[in-house]
Amino acid sequence: MSTTDVAQTPPEVIAPTVEREHRGLLAEVWHNFKKNRLSLTGGVIVITFVVVAILAPLLAPYNPVVQWDAPPGEHHPLAPMSRSEEGKLFLLGSDKFGRDILSRALYGVRTLLQLAAISIAFALVLGILMGAVAGYNRGTWIDELIMRLVDIMLSFPTLVLAIALLGAFGIGKTEIGPIEVSNMLKIAIVIAVTYSPRFARVMRGVVLQEMSEDYVDAAKMAGGSGWQILTREILVNTIPPLIVQASLMTATTVLTSASLSFLGLGLQPPRPSLGIMLNEARDYLFLGAWWYPLVPGVFILLIILGFNLLGDGLRDSLDPRQARRTRV
Amino acid sequence: MGIYILKRLLLAVPTLVAASIIIFLLIHLAPGGPVRVMLGPMQDPALVEKLRHQLGLDLPLHQQYLRWAGKALQGDLGISVTIQRGAPVTELLRQRYGVTLQLAALSMVIALLIAIPTGITSALHQNKIADHLSRLVAMVGVSVPNFFLGIMLILVLGVFLKQPWATGGYVPPEEGLKENLIRMLLPAIALGTAYSAIVMRMLRSSMLDVMSQDYVRTAKAMGIGWGSTVRRDIVKNALIPVITVIGNSVGYLLGGSIVTETIFRMPGVGRLVITGVFRRDYPVIQGIVLSIVIIRIGINLVVDILYSIVDPRIRYGAEGE
Repeated sequence: MSTTDVAQTPPEVIAPTVEREHRGLLAEVWHNFKKNRLSLTGGVIVITFVVVAILAPLLAPYNPVVQWDAPPGEHHPLAPMSRSEEGKLFLLGSDKFGRDILSRALYGVRTLLQLAAISIAFALVLGILMGAVAGYNRGTWIDELIMRLVDIMLSFPTLVLAIALLGAFGIGKTEIGPIEVSNMLKIAIVIAVTYSPRFARVMRGVVLQEMSEDYVDAAKMAGGSGWQILTREILVNTIPPLIVQASLMTATTVLTSASLSFLGLGLQPPRPSLGIMLNEARDYLFLGAWWYPLVPGVFILLIILGFNLLGDGLRDSLDPRQARRTRV
Repeated sequence: MGIYILKRLLLAVPTLVAASIIIFLLIHLAPGGPVRVMLGPMQDPALVEKLRHQLGLDLPLHQQYLRWAGKALQGDLGISVTIQRGAPVTELLRQRYGVTLQLAALSMVIALLIAIPTGITSALHQNKIADHLSRLVAMVGVSVPNFFLGIMLILVLGVFLKQPWATGGYVPPEEGLKENLIRMLLPAIALGTAYSAIVMRMLRSSMLDVMSQDYVRTAKAMGIGWGSTVRRDIVKNALIPVITVIGNSVGYLLGGSIVTETIFRMPGVGRLVITGVFRRDYPVIQGIVLSIVIIRIGINLVVDILYSIVDPRIRYGAEGE
């Protein structure tokens, strides 16, 4: 075969272009994601609860704090499908004060997701800041200082640290320095502080990885300042792993906030809270009031399950090679 | 080996010191100062002064810390101010730690007894029915809050099936080991379930990892039987990363026992810390948090050392640094 033959061969023969569909990152993720039925289920569960949280005032049959009277000769809590003296139907039963459990649970979803969203947002901001600064200044005393702090905070079990901080501030609304902080904001800050080190670790890892990529060198050579490179170039590429982490972390945040409410350290009554409902239900177990713990408990379980499935699915979709090998 | 252990020990000390500073400072986060909070409405100036002096709050901050840490090193964690006025915190902890540690240990045993066989089976039958089923159960297991599981266990076994041992409460082992264990069973299941699911998932993926490695493929290709040494080797190698999870779980179990002890009305450290928060007993809160952090750092140290014995690569890596 002479060299001219090769030169005359049409290019497509040398490099046969298999008609490969080029998808953008989002399309690629979606393509992988929708193949995984479990993660789709997780997504549906999460979306459903978010809709419930937003529409709680419309969906709830009654005002969650209004107390209805039990019919003569009967006592609250009333079983599902029973009626109050006023003839109000308790679809999922009533609680110890004669409030509608369904309405309270729907509003409880709203407060729980509100709290989780605020906490995760704070934790993300705090964690991204710490991780990005540490990663960008890798090997310097700044990196060392921040990562030591992260290590120290991680030496506390999260629930223990949250309880210790809440114990220090006290229950209910409080003054942090000169500012009066509402109870919910205080809990969100406490949870964010306990979870931010995890985001910081993930963020630092991703930043380090991205820093070794050529495009960062290119940006440096083009004369970009450190802050510019960090915010314009690197940060964009750290979003996917952070989303996965945020989804999985939302599951644990929901668990932590519900645990704190259950222990009486979180949101305070009469505010509808799934954790408080479960705590109240403990006193009525021996009266056989199964619906009292079951309704809020199943709601919490489903919310956590939804975020876990979603997070797992997103992780697999973003890193399919790893997932095929060790999908859990 | 000795050098490695020494290095790990030296690394643990600054973490512990820093954590203790945070715990020490907790008391100063109290709005209006801890004394005002602890005394509540009665603000007798003489009493305030006395308590401030007793707690050492009239000293400069660094002296306060050194005094507190120095005493803590000698096992003196101060005196309870509201729960049992005047009782040494160390004594309160001594009475209660038995319950918590027993609960944590039993939870871990139950969790591992479930997780290890399921994880192995799941990996060996990847994508078969057994695998799908155990993964689904594990996913729900990770997601179920321990307080909900605990309440439902009491409801079903204690209330509907009328089992007298399933209603919560605690029997000290001195009053009958059998009764003690049987009452501890449900709390241990409630606390251990999520943990069991975590270990199972971890073990499964680590098994699959090992099984995809070259030496396993080679052994398979050479026709060495699946049920023989290879299988044992896989399990042995797959268990290595699981050791880390076991180390990390101690913090999880101690944290979780706070909730579990509350549900099952057990007189452990977890319930004490909650009472401490409600009654503003700062020395008790500080003592418990400090002891939990010490246990956690200590166990992580032991796990790291164990890990380096099982997998010498880590040791050499660290020594080569």
